[in-house]
Amino acid sequence: MNWVEVTWIVMSAASLTLGVIQLLVWLKRRSQYAPLLFFALAASATGFGAFELAMMRAPSPVDYAATLRWAQVLLTILVLSIVWFVRLYFGAGRLWLAYLISGLRLLALGLNFVTGVNINFREVSALDQVYLWGGVAVSGPVGVANPWVIVPQITNVLLIAFVVDASIALWRRGGADARRRAAIIGGSLVLCISAVGAFAALIITGLLHAPTIVMPGVFIVVLAMGYELGWDVIAVGQLAAQLRASELRFRAVVEAVPSAILLVNDKGIITLANAQAETVFGYERAELVATPVEKLVPERFRRSHVGLRAGYAGDPQPRAMGVGRELFACRKDGSEVPVEVALSPMRTGDRLSVLVSVADITQRRQVEQASARQRDELAHLSRVAMLGELSGSLAHELNQPLTAILSNAQAAQRYLAQSPPRVDKLAEILTDIVKSDHRAGAVIQRLRSLLRKEEAQRHPLDVNEVVEESLRLMRSDLLNRQVVVSSELARELPAVNGDRTQLQQVLLNLLINGCDAMDGHRSDNRLIIRTQGTANGNVEVSVADKGAGIPSADLERIFEPFVTTKSHGLGLGLAICRSIVEAHGGRLWATNNPDRGATLHCELPRRVP
Amino acid sequence: MPRMQPAPIVYVVDDDPDVLKAIERLLESEGLRVAAFPSPRQFLERYDRDAAACLVLDLAMPELNGLELQAMLERQASHLPIIFLTGRGDIAASVRAMKQGAADFLTKPVDDALLIATIRDALARDRALRPARIERERIAKRLATLTERERQVLEQIVAGKLNKEIAAELGTVEKTVKFHRANLMHKMGVRVVADLVKLAERAGVGSTPRT
Repeated sequence: MNWVEVTWIVMSAASLTLGVIQLLVWLKRRSQYAPLLFFALAASATGFGAFELAMMRAPSPVDYAATLRWAQVLLTILVLSIVWFVRLYFGAGRLWLAYLISGLRLLALGLNFVTGVNINFREVSALDQVYLWGGVAVSGPVGVANPWVIVPQITNVLLIAFVVDASIALWRRGGADARRRAAIIGGSLVLCISAVGAFAALIITGLLHAPTIVMPGVFIVVLAMGYELGWDVIAVGQLAAQLRASELRFRAVVEAVPSAILLVNDKGIITLANAQAETVFGYERAELVATPVEKLVPERFRRSHVGLRAGYAGDPQPRAMGVGRELFACRKDGSEVPVEVALSPMRTGDRLSVLVSVADITQRRQVEQASARQRDELAHLSRVAMLGELSGSLAHELNQPLTAILSNAQAAQRYLAQSPPRVDKLAEILTDIVKSDHRAGAVIQRLRSLLRKEEAQRHPLDVNEVVEESLRLMRSDLLNRQVVVSSELARELPAVNGDRTQLQQVLLNLLINGCDAMDGHRSDNRLIIRTQGTANGNVEVSVADKGAGIPSADLERIFEPFVTTKSHGLGLGLAICRSIVEAHGGRLWATNNPDRGATLHCELPRRVP
Repeated sequence: MPRMQPAPIVYVVDDDPDVLKAIERLLESEGLRVAAFPSPRQFLERYDRDAAACLVLDLAMPELNGLELQAMLERQASHLPIIFLTGRGDIAASVRAMKQGAADFLTKPVDDALLIATIRDALARDRALRPARIERERIAKRLATLTERERQVLEQIVAGKLNKEIAAELGTVEKTVKFHRANLMHKMGVRVVADLVKLAERAGVGSTPRT
């Protein structure tokens, strides 16, 4: 074997090797066609190398011409692979040009079989023996050019134009990788195609007596492309390493977070759990991973949780779970803990996972409960103090039915003492006595409920009802202080969630304050108590007086404890009222009226069913 | 009494319908004639100023309270005896009420015997004072019809002056005094001077004592 044979065999074998590597890459990732096209390119280069070697060793012009004719098939595959590889791999290049080149090249292949002895020669009359370096003799053709050879030559020029254009586009797009790719692949292609094309043209036209030596150019192209694709494989490896590092960081962060973290996939299966999750839920990590997340949801909510999860998948936004509701998690031992849950979607590929962060809020709940208890106790004390102020009024409210009862009873005695006794009057009188007795009972009941010391409870309440109840309690006091109350109660208000006694306490306080504000202003002692819906769907109760108003510096200060403008009282009333209202999720504030006096406003959130 | 008088009326005003009805019923069981009103305004619109009556009045009421109603009646020169009923022993209010001439001041719940006795007492007082008061009012009404000159002449007559002296005092002639004298005696509905003097005394005309 001479060095030419060795070189051509090595180039063919190397092309095949590079091609097969990319074929394997393509088999792993079928959606990427660039490696497949490269394989086609490399494989046709391999075949072409063999054909070219055969041509150089052709025994006769007929053999040479026939071999060259069949080599055109491989050249066509080569050109087509180059066009579409560039188009795919660069993501650039004019599409119409790609189609035009492909069409012309196929046309040339057709002409190759129907005109001349092949597309290059009309006829090959003889073979020249050309001596290469080292005295190796190879065959070079002598013949007449096929006029149709212009078709593949135009194709070559267009191919160069296409590659140049695509490379420039890629270069302009910027990025170190893209530029290197444009330079290496684009440069090698342009260089080799023009060199090979020019060389072939010289031989065909007979200007140069030499063997057709195309393979080295093709091989350079294969090497350049292979290098680039290999670079990609390396990049994938680097990416994998980065990914592993990022995964490690993610896990480190997840482990360090003081909340329990779970990653739940679209089927509701836990795919990851951190150390804190073991503490919160009482399961070993191995017992959590690969099991349905519903096992952490208390039995009574499990069924609805599945639906809620599907709902979340429909609108995956980072948000808190179950806003406005108390959430509980179910531990391994069956006990329940109050939790706060934050959800954030994580999309991997087409699958949606949810990162769930669960905080055990048992301690916070306990602190909240303790402070709520204190607030309730303080509210109770202040209520008792307030009832002291109202005691005259309450006594009067009780006195009225007692008066009616006594007079009715004594009237009955008198009718009975008459002769004959007027029994006919008795039924009516007794009915009235019973009615008055109920009325007295209701007063006692109201009094008792205000005096009762118990934990605040939340019930759906009609604010108008609470207002009317408070006005009933105040009735006699208002009369005595010559204060006229006009109530403007909005109809069809949404219900609020609250403790009846505490809200009544707030209203009584506001009414008493309103009366106090007007003491000494003897004319037009008028309070306006108003209920209305707010723009954001809540309920506002306001009490407007016609007193002297509040100095604007004090509008906020009056809600501080021990700040009072009155000669009596501790100055705790409004401070406690505010804490009650805020515990209801509402607001309590004061404004001055445009004409005279001040208004205290209390906004309560509507009940969320 | 020479004439048969209608039974006296006990007016009751209380804004609490239950109390109002019970008091009304109690008084009716005693055989009293009762007119009950749930508000001072309705009472003011409807009560009979000339009837023999007394008023049982609640102290604390919206719009117009008991003391204000009492003051209003006073301004109307009503002599209706008022018995206050109050829920609480408000000393300041009771003192004010009594100073304004209240007949009595009772606290709720009120015992029937006490209430009825107080009412009967008030009615009896009203009955005793009423004829003299009616007479006084009749005279006052007639006095109001006198001209300024006639009134001056009347005062002189009551002082026991003679026509001639009166004429000198008022700077006129005796004839004119005689004319006024005849007119005023006609207006006062008396024929003899003795009756005129008696009337004038009752009405408190002529402060100077006769010699």
